[in-house]
Amino acid sequence: MDFVVQLTINSIIAGSIYTLMALGFNLTYGATKFFNLAHGVMATIAGYTVFYFSSQPLYISIPAGIFAAGLVGYVLDRTIYSPLRKRKASNMVLLVASLGVFTALESLIALKFSSQHQSLPEIFASVPTFNLFGGSFTAIHLLIVASAAVCALGLHALLKYTLFGKAINAVSDDEEVSKIVGINTNRLMGQVFFVGSAIAGVAGILVGFDTVIIPIMGMPLLLKGIIAAIIGGLGSLWGGVLGAFLLGFVENFGIWHISGEWKDVIAFGLLILFLIFRPQGILKKS
Amino acid sequence: MSLKTKNLEKHFDGVHAVDHLSIEIKPGVITGILGPNGSGKTTLINVISGIHPIDGGEIAIGSQTFSSIKRHEVPDFDITRTFQNVRVFEQMTVMDNLLVILSSRSVLTSLRQRATPKQLDRAQEVLKKVGLWEKRNSLASKLSYGQRKLLEVGRVLAMDKKINLFDEPFAGMFPEMVKRVSGILQNLKQCGKTIVLIEHNMQLIRELCDYVIVMDAGKLLAQGEPEKVLAQKNVIEAYLGE
Repeated sequence: MDFVVQLTINSIIAGSIYTLMALGFNLTYGATKFFNLAHGVMATIAGYTVFYFSSQPLYISIPAGIFAAGLVGYVLDRTIYSPLRKRKASNMVLLVASLGVFTALESLIALKFSSQHQSLPEIFASVPTFNLFGGSFTAIHLLIVASAAVCALGLHALLKYTLFGKAINAVSDDEEVSKIVGINTNRLMGQVFFVGSAIAGVAGILVGFDTVIIPIMGMPLLLKGIIAAIIGGLGSLWGGVLGAFLLGFVENFGIWHISGEWKDVIAFGLLILFLIFRPQGILKKS
Repeated sequence: MSLKTKNLEKHFDGVHAVDHLSIEIKPGVITGILGPNGSGKTTLINVISGIHPIDGGEIAIGSQTFSSIKRHEVPDFDITRTFQNVRVFEQMTVMDNLLVILSSRSVLTSLRQRATPKQLDRAQEVLKKVGLWEKRNSLASKLSYGQRKLLEVGRVLAMDKKINLFDEPFAGMFPEMVKRVSGILQNLKQCGKTIVLIEHNMQLIRELCDYVIVMDAGKLLAQGEPEKVLAQKNVIEAYLGE
């Protein structure tokens, strides 16, 4: 019984991290309709920014990390993706460009900080641990779950209740018409990249506090975020959340009687099943 | 505000969709653009509204002449339009379809803004005009085809531009919707707007249009008052195939 509770807690924590990655990915995908693989390295950038500002208090280094991820996302859109879109580059070209960006930034981080893992400053002097029905989790895990909830609800409110959000929805629906009715889609895309990348930054920082940071941390986070987004329904905010938790649960309960190394096999197996039987994801209509 | 084309050209893979077309569309009248399928009517307004780049010639809007119009510049040129195949923001409510147009163009400002009472009043006024007020909270994707056409017309009204291009706005509409949109076009005319109407229904053309331009194979075939033009032999041959 305790084992089931622990697996449930682990699933919720994993689902929360995947939620953070899927939220930003879905936001940028919804607006641009291309797979921005560089999204993964935003988590790495945020983690390493916090590490770089280790000597500063956390209330400076954490916002700096989130802002750095957002800023890099914004700059990438302005300097690479936006010019490519203007030249009518296909989504495949944009995907390849984003893969190039991912690899280049990951390498630059490794050059600057070494390929070895690093530890972020302690967020708590002694990390509190909680017990619930026989399962345990730490205060950082609680922070991960709370951050995912805040980001999902915040993004939902942004998209639903602000004029900025309505403009994003309009661009997601029909970019051409959005332009014709006077929405500055280019500027909006930059803002979307900022918000989406900043949310990925939150994921990177929290993973760093929970475990360690390493230059190659972005790819596994990206892949899980993409799987969550696909199985939930690409471009759908709540679909991504649902996909993230489904992935978290399937992954963790899937290794109940087998080695943890099977996690990725189970995750990608789930992705393949969805691609074959429900490619539009859970929340999207065919 | 008058709208002119001077030797306007648009071609796709060697086919001249708009072929050295020189026309003038005056404000305060409804100008119908007619022609058989493939005559270049929709391509013409796609070029005017920046959907397709200009391949040759110029467009004059008021006293200014342009050899290129980009999509995002269209509202600045005081142009708005509807689409032959209706294009609304499907995943947004009817109300939000209008609020997103009425809202601030500055993203940073709009981030902390919700719709103002003035914007809400304007959206309400427009939705009542097009008969969609009761549907204001419905997703646009849930509307019937005719209702989505009405929403597009509402979008044109909300944008309040001087040049209004309507591409088959009556297609898929019930008679009462047609009557409502006809009234809206007449109102726009009375307000001195420049109105272009692409339409296949000859009865509607006769009822609504003060002037018609007939295109065939991208070229100007005839122009003038509807009754006279529609009686011309070359127009009947080209358009009606008789």
